[in-house]
Amino acid sequence: MTERIVVVGHGMAAVRLVEELVARGVHRTGHITVLGEEPHPPYNRILLSAVLEGTHRPEAITLRSPEWYAEHGVELRLGTRVVDVHREAREVELADRQLVPYDRLVLATGSIPTLPPIRGLVRVDGQLHEKVHAFRSLDDCARLERAVPSARRAVVVGGGLLGLQVARALSVRGVETEIVEGAEHLLRSHVDEKSGAILRRSLTRLGTTVYTGARAVRLTDDGLRLDNGYTLDSDLIVLTAGGRPSINLARRAGLSTRRGVVVEDTLASVDDERIHAIGDCAEHDGRTTGFVPPAWEQAEILADRLAGGSANYDGHRLVARLRATGLDVAVLGDPDLTTGPAPEGAEVVEVANPIAGSRRRLVIRDGVVVAATLVGDLSRIGLITQAFDRGTVLGDHEPGALLMGYAAGPSPDQAAQALPDDAEVCACAGVSAGRIRACTSVEEARETTRATTGCGGCASVVRTLIENGLRAVPS
Amino acid sequence: MATATHCPYCSLQCGMTLTRQGRSLEVDARAMPANPHSPITEGALCRKGWTAAGLRGHRERITTPMLRDRDVGGWRAASWDEALDLIADRLRALREAHGPDTNAVFGGGGLTTEKAYQLGKFTRVALGSSQIDYNGRWCMSSAATAGNRAFGLDRGLPFPLADIEGTDVLVLVGSNLAETMPPAARHLDRLRERGGRVVVIDPRHTATAERADLAIQPVPGTDLALALGVLHLLDARGAVAEEYVAARTTGWDDVRASVAGWWPERVERVTGVEATVLRELADLLAGADRAMILTARGAEQQRQGTATVLAWINVALALGLPGKEYAGYGCLTGQGNGQGGREHGQKADQLPGYRMIEDPAARAHVAGVWGVDPDSLPGKGRSAYELLDALGTRSEDGDGPRSLLVFGSNIVVSAPRAEHVTERLEALDLLVVCDLVMSETAALADVVLPVTQWAEESGTMTNLEGRVILRERAITPPEGVRSDLDVIAGLATRLGAPSTWSTEPEEIFTELRAASAGGLADYSGITYDRIRAEDGVFWPCPDTGAEAHPGTPRLFGERFAHPDGRARFKTVEYVGPAEEPSADYPVHLTTGRVLGQYQSGAQTRRIKELPDDGPFVELHPLLADRIGAVDGEALIVTTRRGTMRAPARVVRTIRPDTVFVPFHWVGANRLTNDALDPSSRMPEFKVCAARVELAVEVAAPAPAQPVGATR
Repeated sequence: MTERIVVVGHGMAAVRLVEELVARGVHRTGHITVLGEEPHPPYNRILLSAVLEGTHRPEAITLRSPEWYAEHGVELRLGTRVVDVHREAREVELADRQLVPYDRLVLATGSIPTLPPIRGLVRVDGQLHEKVHAFRSLDDCARLERAVPSARRAVVVGGGLLGLQVARALSVRGVETEIVEGAEHLLRSHVDEKSGAILRRSLTRLGTTVYTGARAVRLTDDGLRLDNGYTLDSDLIVLTAGGRPSINLARRAGLSTRRGVVVEDTLASVDDERIHAIGDCAEHDGRTTGFVPPAWEQAEILADRLAGGSANYDGHRLVARLRATGLDVAVLGDPDLTTGPAPEGAEVVEVANPIAGSRRRLVIRDGVVVAATLVGDLSRIGLITQAFDRGTVLGDHEPGALLMGYAAGPSPDQAAQALPDDAEVCACAGVSAGRIRACTSVEEARETTRATTGCGGCASVVRTLIENGLRAVPS
Repeated sequence: MATATHCPYCSLQCGMTLTRQGRSLEVDARAMPANPHSPITEGALCRKGWTAAGLRGHRERITTPMLRDRDVGGWRAASWDEALDLIADRLRALREAHGPDTNAVFGGGGLTTEKAYQLGKFTRVALGSSQIDYNGRWCMSSAATAGNRAFGLDRGLPFPLADIEGTDVLVLVGSNLAETMPPAARHLDRLRERGGRVVVIDPRHTATAERADLAIQPVPGTDLALALGVLHLLDARGAVAEEYVAARTTGWDDVRASVAGWWPERVERVTGVEATVLRELADLLAGADRAMILTARGAEQQRQGTATVLAWINVALALGLPGKEYAGYGCLTGQGNGQGGREHGQKADQLPGYRMIEDPAARAHVAGVWGVDPDSLPGKGRSAYELLDALGTRSEDGDGPRSLLVFGSNIVVSAPRAEHVTERLEALDLLVVCDLVMSETAALADVVLPVTQWAEESGTMTNLEGRVILRERAITPPEGVRSDLDVIAGLATRLGAPSTWSTEPEEIFTELRAASAGGLADYSGITYDRIRAEDGVFWPCPDTGAEAHPGTPRLFGERFAHPDGRARFKTVEYVGPAEEPSADYPVHLTTGRVLGQYQSGAQTRRIKELPDDGPFVELHPLLADRIGAVDGEALIVTTRRGTMRAPARVVRTIRPDTVFVPFHWVGANRLTNDALDPSSRMPEFKVCAARVELAVEVAAPAPAQPVGATR
């Protein structure tokens, strides 16, 4: 019998799962149905702030077109809300009472933004106040986009990764932006207080005022009132604080949930092997992630299992990377290691330059980079991430060297003058500086040594060696 | 008298003259003014070219056939008749006992086009075997496969090399042309003098990267992800040439969707290239009116080589480059005749004129020229590595070949996973090697046939631009030495093969012209006289009768070679190298060339004017510090396939997580991975996981020194 795979959700995790299933030919042996609540074809959610900022065209973030699903025989039902899972009957129930049967059900419902307890956010008719914006979906982004041209001032509620990205995007778009963060420092889930302070200063320099340790309590006609007494006059209020895994369906179906839907290494619910959860809504080993790379890894692993394989998920190395113009932040590893002091058994190698707004910190255990915080300077992030991802055992001097720059080399002219006589000047013909110095003209050098007759790259050095009369200079 | 000819080495095929001065042979650089498109008009040569005459009269030159007694391992000289009779008898006996595919042929990308053509014909007609391939499979095959898929045609460069000077942004992906084909670097310099920009993508900051405005050092084996990231950014900022894409291509929508998931920070994590650097590259490309993207072995010698090239072609197509003046995509071919060698039947799946062997019309045409029954032609054979891997094997699916004839290749040094390949060669009933000297591969043979080299024979080559050029005989070969063409004809005759077996290159070329007529690589309008008069002719050049076809320096201006005239965007997914670093093998190993040597070094290592310091292990000071290595000290590099020892060369120009070993000597390819690209069958020479350590630590620990002992 053809196995019916039903995927609830069509965000980043779901689309990846379908791609991986198609790559394994499961769309030919089984029947795949995707039930998506949003009306749009799947898009790259993490690039929404880039769309807002203007670095990405909205069309460029579409991940797969409806035609692609059709071509591969995958049923894509957009604008479809699932209200219940009937586990006994193995059916999901849609908002219009339709029933969709499944043999395997995948919950990829993602997360939903939580509304902070601010009075006045929601109007009496249940809609958000016209100045207030969420920032989770393409529709949110489009609504905010429409409001930007006439907005002069904005307040971003929440100083996490998304908040900083949105704040920078609004700033770049010319809106005077302020950030309100309830914790004592920015990015409190990812970095320690010192790094947060550096970020705050960088933002201030970029023209964004940051209020930390302050909660917005009320939205009035005068503006957004904070619990520190300030009232921020604003045209836009963007809510980026807080999101939680979307687990209502699972809970109603009687599946174990804590923060997320609790899954085994097989990514199946601990209560029902026919039901899986991946992405933001899944909780594995006590963790929910909220990031794309682990969601994709889970999607690949689940695709393997649905295709008959036996892959297991055993956690993920996290790399959180801020995408915002003028603000460089990367956080590698578990927040436990990056938000506090060095844990036992680990050493911290740190280079900070508050004047330049940078602080970089590697947490090393047994020679391995187990975590890192890079703020304000991402040079070498490529190397550091490679070492982190691969668990490379570094030498004693390497962590320090990775954080320090190399000295600049001499200028080409100085270099030419300093060449010892036995240094090779023309690699093509194998000619040393000494032999060039023995010539009286470039022409003579060409005729007698064949220097410059190959790639021509040594021509300027040959000229320098001859024209500067360096023949007399002892090497 | 001076003879106008070309350098014996790389795909540039620089013009040179050879002049006999008493006993010596003088090399001079030769400008080629008759061809306005020439990159080799100026008269530039690198030291390999300048010293190319050094093998003449070399004391290691073999001048008589040699037979090896397997029992005692000794060699004895034999007459040509004895050697050829013996080979023919053994081939016949093996065929009778085991069928035609038991005899196999391995060719080379350094052979003239006439030889390559004749080898393909010999294998199919005289041996009746499907088992022929050549070392060019390890050279440009990924680019060839990608070119065929995207454009419907594979010609390394679809424009003359000198066109580089007219572009605005040049991106070199995995090419170190300043060292591998130095005179080509002149174009880079002139491009930059004009205000153009050069981008070099290579895990090492090479001599070529020294000439770049932007040098990008990705993790080996991640060039594909880099291309996906570039295309993502180009689409994000609306830099895609929509009109061109709509009018001249198909497949864009799928490709666009497939790169939406490759945002810069993801690319950074995979490639180790900072997102800001990726943005810089995308900015350069988006802002350029004309750009060129050229790939070479670094990007192609991967198990995803074809996909990698396709990904870069996608970038070129999205920008509307192919077919535009001073713009487009191209592959920098490596071997001297890598191009011509793959067009006329030396490849397992091809017949002359770049025809496919499984196409009935192609078989009928070529069989007609050869005067044989189309049904007598065998089908597709094994690719190069698969052929070698099968040698001497017995299995239920059928035995591998029991004999191998090798022309123009030094397999023992150049094949991946070389120790395994050497074992396969040793398992053969009969190994015949044609070479100038007792190469590492010849040393394993049952019969070694001494053949002529470059200046001692004539023949055409097709350089990296698709320009057909002529090498002319300048000197008489040593006594006792014969051309590969004589070997082929001698064996074909002894085997009673149908058709004709000329030993005159120009006669063979005439036959080849007919065989190629109507094919993709149509040479029918090219003659030796035209090549001489015009300093080379670009294919395709059909025979158009009285009004000669001018040849085709530039392709794709109006249409691509697919039936609908459109280029194809192809969706490709990044999978990554076959081996990722692990606790036991924590670094990436990559391989490549040095300026003073060529390929397996069989020629260049014997030329005394060329530096031969042997192999070395290039590594970064950070890695050197980690393992306690000092410049010049011996290191051991180990992979899952083998091990080699060579001195350390500590440089800041390589990625700290990568080591580099040059492949001109025995050793490097003992380490390399034989994972193959699924379509081009290219081995993954350019990346595998390795361990590097001090040689002294690996050797038995030194015995404790008695107190007071010195040294």
